[in-house]
Formats: sequence, C-alpha cells, structure tokens
Amino acid sequence: MRVPIIGSLLKQRHARTLLQIPVFIISAAMIVHGLFGPQLAPKNLATTFTWVHFRGALVLVLLFAGNFFCLACPFMLVRNLVRKFVRPVRNWPRALRNKWLSIALFVAMLFAYEWLDLWASPWWTAWLIITYFAGALVIDSIFKHATFCKFVCPIGQFNFVASTASPLEVTVRDQDTCTSCATKDCIRGVREEAAPLVVIQRGCELALFQPRKTGNLDCTFCLDCVEACPHDNVGIMSRVPAAELTVDPVRSGIGFLSKRKDLTALTIVFTFGALLNAFGMVSPVYILEQWLSKTFGIHYELPLLAFVFALFLIFEPLVLIGIAAWLTRVWGDSGKPLLSIAVRYTYSLAPLGFGIWLAHFGFHFFTGLFTFIPVTQLAVGFLGEPRWGAPGLAPNVVQLFEFGFIILGLLGSLLVSYGTAMVEEVRPVRVFVIWAALSLIIAAGAFWLMSQSMEMRAVVLGSG
Amino acid sequence: MPQKGTKGTNRVSLLCLLCLFVAGFISCRSQSSAEVIITHEVLPQSPRVGHVAITLRVTNASRKPLMGARIKLEGNMSHPGMSPVFADALEVAPGEYRANMELSMAGDWVILVHLTLPDGSKLERQFEIKGVAPA
Repeated sequence: MRVPIIGSLLKQRHARTLLQIPVFIISAAMIVHGLFGPQLAPKNLATTFTWVHFRGALVLVLLFAGNFFCLACPFMLVRNLVRKFVRPVRNWPRALRNKWLSIALFVAMLFAYEWLDLWASPWWTAWLIITYFAGALVIDSIFKHATFCKFVCPIGQFNFVASTASPLEVTVRDQDTCTSCATKDCIRGVREEAAPLVVIQRGCELALFQPRKTGNLDCTFCLDCVEACPHDNVGIMSRVPAAELTVDPVRSGIGFLSKRKDLTALTIVFTFGALLNAFGMVSPVYILEQWLSKTFGIHYELPLLAFVFALFLIFEPLVLIGIAAWLTRVWGDSGKPLLSIAVRYTYSLAPLGFGIWLAHFGFHFFTGLFTFIPVTQLAVGFLGEPRWGAPGLAPNVVQLFEFGFIILGLLGSLLVSYGTAMVEEVRPVRVFVIWAALSLIIAAGAFWLMSQSMEMRAVVLGSG
Repeated sequence: MPQKGTKGTNRVSLLCLLCLFVAGFISCRSQSSAEVIITHEVLPQSPRVGHVAITLRVTNASRKPLMGARIKLEGNMSHPGMSPVFADALEVAPGEYRANMELSMAGDWVILVHLTLPDGSKLERQFEIKGVAPA
C-alpha cells in the first residue's frame, strides 16, 4: 500500500469499485458478443478473452502479486449494487460451511469445459459468465456475508489455493497495535456511533480476523479490513511465497489446515485437475479415449470422460498420496494416522499444481497474446479491417516458459514438504524424500504433457 | 382538409412496404445462396499438420459448373488465440477450384469459404476438417 500510485489508488474508498467497473464492462461485452456475435471461437470476444487472456492474466497476477482478480471481481459489483436494495437475512447452512460444494462445482466446471467444448463455444462461454453473475446475485441476496466467495465460487477457490504461492498478502503491520485495539473494526466493521447496528464500512465478510489470519486462504483482497482498521494497521505486505503451507497454526475463519479434509480435497482437485486439464489438450487423450471406447464398447463421450476424470481426480491421487502417506508412516516413522499424514502433506503439492496451471494457461496467453486486437476490431466494427498478424509469441519460446513455471512450482513444493517435515517429523529427511519423490513424479508427468504437441482440439471416438 | 385517420393509414402502408422490401430482400438473398452448391474434398483424407489440398466444386441449382468465381479460404482453429490461415482458390477446371492450405496445428479446423460470384454477389459457407493429426 506504500507503493507510489498503486498504493494511493488502492487506499481510495472506492478503489475496488473503480477496478470492478472496467472488468464488468468487458464481461458485459463478452456476454453480448458470445450470444449474438460470430460463433467461431477465435473470432469471438467471449471465448478469446475468457480462455486466452483472462485465465493467463489471472495466474500471472497470482504469481507476481496476489489475488487481485477477486478484488476486481465483476460479480461482486452487481451483488453490492443489489445489496443496496435487498438485505440478506439468512445464514449459510452449517452443513455447507466448508469447501465440498465448491469442490463439486470446480470439478463440474472442469468437466463441462471438456464435455461441452467450452473453449470452442462463444454461446456456452457467455452462458457460463451469466451463470456466475446469477449465482453470485442469488446466493448473496439470500445469504449474509460473502457466502458466494467463501463457499461456492469455483474461481474463488482456485484463486485461494493458487494465492498461497503469491508474494503478497493482506496482513497486519504490527501485532501489538491489534492487541491493544478495542473496536476490532477489521472484523466487525465500522459502525455509526449513534446507531451501532448501522455499518458504515464493512469488516471482513469472509470471517478472517486480521490478527489471527495466516496466509491467503479465503482472502479475496477486498480490502474491507484495510479501510475498516482505525489504526491504518492493515495493508498488503510482501512475504515468502508458499511459506504459509509449512506452518499449521489456528487460522482465523479456517482453523487448522491439518484438520481440514475439504481443503486437502480442494488441493488435490487443484493439483491433479491441472494435469487433467492439460491432458485434455494433447493428442494422447484421443488414444486413451479410443482405447476406452474399444475396450468397453462405449461410443458416447460422457461416460468416457467421467472415467478419465475419475482416473485423474480419484484413482491417481488416491494411489500416489496413499503410497506416500503409507511410506511416511512405515519408513518415515511418523506416528500419525495415515489420513492425517495425507491431509497434512497434500498441501505441499499446491505450488506444483499452480506451476502446472501457469504452464498451461501461460501457453495460451503468450501464444495468443495479440489476438485481442483483431477480435476487438471485429466486435466493435469501426476500428478497421482486423489485423491478423502473429497471434503471439512463438510456441517454442513459450515452451521454455512452460518448463520454467513447472520447475518453479516443483521447487515450491519441495520447500513446503521440507519445511513441513522439519517441523512435524522425527525423521524429517526421510519424510521429505518421500513427498519430494511424489512431487517429482507429478512434475515428470507435467513435463511430458507440456512436451506433447498441443492440439486445438478434437474428440474422435469410434464410429457408432 | 386531411381526413381523420389518414396519417395512421399512411404509416401502416409505409410499414407494409418496408416489410415487403425486407421480405423481398431476404428472399432474393436466400434464392441466390440456394442456387449455389459447393462440395469439397480434402487431400490427404486423414490430414496432418502442414500442407493440405482443398478442392471445391461449385455448381448452380441445375448442377451446371459455376465458372469465374473468386474464392478465398480462411482456416480457423476451434480454439481461440490463433490467427486464421488464408489461401486463394484457383479455377483448375470449369467450376472446380483448388487451394493449398497450411494447417499449422493439430486439432479441429473450421474452413470458411468466401465466394464472390461473377455478378459481384458474395456468399459465405463453411465446413470442418476434423482431427488434423500432428505432423
């Protein structure tokens, strides 16, 4: 917040709205073009901006800064507007106050992406954006606080896990100031003196109490706490990326990581989903689907895709993490139950998962970087003939970035598993070796995937 | 003195005329499009990344070859983030046009056919080349 220009911009009371408005306008243009524009993905704003530019920019901003896309979220702009007229009165059901629903939606989104060929369909992409707007609006009109962000939004969950590897965090400057603070405005909000029930500045809607907040999990960078703090004691600070995963204190709004099986499952979907999503873009996916089609005599994509998803998101993590946890217990002399070991160490895979997402989304972003120019020209109509030049950087150059991102993620995972083992184990080196080996196996899979020729992309099943 | 209701009647007449004009315009366009039949052939039949030869046979409704058309082909991937590839088709026999196209990536391609008839009218058709294999 002390960075010139950016810091003073973010300190403005309406900074978030100012960032949300342009993103909202772009989203609205994407919806209109997706529904009524040319239904050829490379020529449509909805598909080009969503699947090339938005995803790439999202992961790059997460890598170099933090969860600024949640800060600029256009769904929250509409939701905040509606909340001026509709005051939600209900609390989100206790049984759903976890990540299981959002994990299911995350998997559903990955599945829909493959099944409906979302990348190739401007119409479906537009409806996906509309669904997000509608979901945020309906849920946050009925339920209090930031229910949609914390418990529902799949993009939000993706950002939460990825931002554990970000270099910036919203946190307190001085713990002593918080200790002596009597009002706790960062969580309660700033209230009118005469009418204490009237909130004039929101506190954290995601139940993150700043003095006990650790890391970026569940933080949308909304800066409500920054504005609410009467001591100017909350800001965006730099930190060691992913170090938050090596420690396990009680986290405000989250609890112990080691007791959150839902967050572990989210990390599994995040990491193995990265492999799965990249696998869907290379030619071996056809070989697998054709083999499955022949073996089981199934010629419909839906069950075959369900099988591939189960293989990647259930069977593969179950076997790999299961073996690593068992070895930790047997060879690493860890006295904890298998499930506890698996839950604690699975978080170490998050940086690697992020590296794989970076490699995949970075490929599309950099190779298609300049395509927004002709596509915008086509959409607007009065900016002259579309200038289709080189779409972006050369794929062989981008491949170096891809490998770099995976290596970066691998290093992060190795450091997290080392740090965790050093704190928690009697034989830390052995335990580190086990989880490092798992990270290396996954990274090897990612290297193999990224070295395959990218296909833009067909599903060819057997006849019938 | 203008009679009561004349203004309204005029508006209705104008609207009817407009509708007739629009209907006529649309029917003319569709008739013109319907008169042209385009069939295509891609070689090799199981294409790989690189060079493909596309042959188009253009006829009118009575299957007579349509000569002297100008045809430009535009190949797009099904995934965004790619630039299209273009190729001009040359008439190699009456009503038969051939273009060489460089498919730069494996996957599904959508080929747009931009056709200008000898009378200057323009048509656009499209077809797919599915499952282009890596080189």
